[in-house]
Amino acid sequence: MTIHRLTMLLGKVVPAILFGALFLGVWEWAVKFFELKPYFLTAPSSIWQQFTTNFALIRGAATVSGTNALVGLVAGTVLGVAMSFVLSRFGFLNQLITPLAVALNAIPIFVLVAVLNNMYSITSEIPRRIMVTLVVYFIVLVNVARGLTQVSPTHVELMRSYAASDVAILRKVRIPNAVPFLFTSLKIAAPAAVITAFVSEYFGGSQNGLGSRISSNIANSKNAAAWAYVLAACLLGLLFYTVSVAMESLNRKGGVKQ
Amino acid sequence: MTAVSVRNVSKVFNQGKPNQVDALSNVALDVKQGEFVSLIGPSGCGKSTLLRLVANLLEPTSGEVTVNGKTAAQARLDQDYGMAFQQAGLFDWRTVRKNIELPLELKGWDKQQRSARADEMLQLVQLPEFGDHYPWQLSGGMQQRIAIARALAAHPPLLLMDEPFGALDEMTREYMQGELLRICAATGTTVVFVTHSIPEAVYLSNRVVVMSPRPGRITKVVDVSLGGERNEDTRNRTAFFEAITAVREGLRGMHAAHVGLGNDDR
Repeated sequence: MTIHRLTMLLGKVVPAILFGALFLGVWEWAVKFFELKPYFLTAPSSIWQQFTTNFALIRGAATVSGTNALVGLVAGTVLGVAMSFVLSRFGFLNQLITPLAVALNAIPIFVLVAVLNNMYSITSEIPRRIMVTLVVYFIVLVNVARGLTQVSPTHVELMRSYAASDVAILRKVRIPNAVPFLFTSLKIAAPAAVITAFVSEYFGGSQNGLGSRISSNIANSKNAAAWAYVLAACLLGLLFYTVSVAMESLNRKGGVKQ
Repeated sequence: MTAVSVRNVSKVFNQGKPNQVDALSNVALDVKQGEFVSLIGPSGCGKSTLLRLVANLLEPTSGEVTVNGKTAAQARLDQDYGMAFQQAGLFDWRTVRKNIELPLELKGWDKQQRSARADEMLQLVQLPEFGDHYPWQLSGGMQQRIAIARALAAHPPLLLMDEPFGALDEMTREYMQGELLRICAATGTTVVFVTHSIPEAVYLSNRVVVMSPRPGRITKVVDVSLGGERNEDTRNRTAFFEAITAVREGLRGMHAAHVGLGNDDR
């Protein structure tokens, strides 16, 4: 059984690794063979060399962006969950807020960070964190509110046949029903939090995060270094996504069908 | 004592609006304790509405419903009945055992009592080894047996069932009918059972109530004289076919009247 699962896993992983290696190989070869200039395309080997030599700096920048993303992710999730409870309790609010939430999700609201920057001191991380919070908030709100309201009619009828109170229905039907919705929304919100944290750095403020390091390195024609920060940004986004997926699968082991 | 008494009950949805529906008109029905009564009829005849009035999930527009001598509302508060639906309606996030324990949790039973009763119910539906499984790991028929175990967990004197075997295949369905009769005989539960299937209604019931739509009303009550003990041989007996014919004629007479034709094919 375990050996079977191991081969299954290898069957999924090996082709992906082979493809990745092949891609990097062709990239490296193309840069050498066509003698591409570094400002046009940098070879993977020199990006890796920049990544290792500047590792302490990159780690520092990743910590700044990662902290902003994490703080915003946690705050947005808490607010989103809290608001979804209010919305599911008061249906008329739901009809007011949900279209707004959907509309705000459709436009790139992180441009608001430019406005937020004016409200706080130039070195403050708060505007960026507010921005991440807002993005996460709407994703979590829409999904969890759906989970709280879209319960099986049979379940509600059954609970009413037991003369169950609204609070009991909330605790035993609505909340358990919303849990998978929460984890799904986190899977969407976690990478979005990281992206928002990067992009927020392009609108001024301290030059300390991955986003601002990428733009300043490009401005100084240090393309390999910029790419090294891009690599770190990818890794950070992957980290957030992987953790959210792991949390979801842990929850599923607790008995919830996908 | 009568388990269920329905007196001159009418139910109108959306009264006074353009989409007004007379779901039930002047319905009267008494169900004796220990009796098995099926409600049968085409869609829109109000059989599910009637069941929900007994369950107090709906209020009658006029008339009176009593359950075990109490008002339907009081009977619901006292959990005097258990209910099963076409969808088993088990909670995917609860184990089978925790699903069965749900009505007991709401009654405020302590953990030991609940667990002992869950064991008893799992034994009753003959699935003792599945207590720690999750519902989706079970077949449709097994899920319905768990739903019945849950409906009977608090030992209610009355079981209300809304097409509980409607989503099952024919073989599973006949097996489940046998199981239901065995369980009801073991517990002495009164049953009101909504179905679309004539053989199912006849096989299970002491009486089959035939209903017709627009407005929903009772057109015929067929007494099934098959005796208490029923098994697979019952399905081959003359009395079984006679009762099926009687129910079918009840349904067909209504259909013929409905399309404005005489009953001229027989």
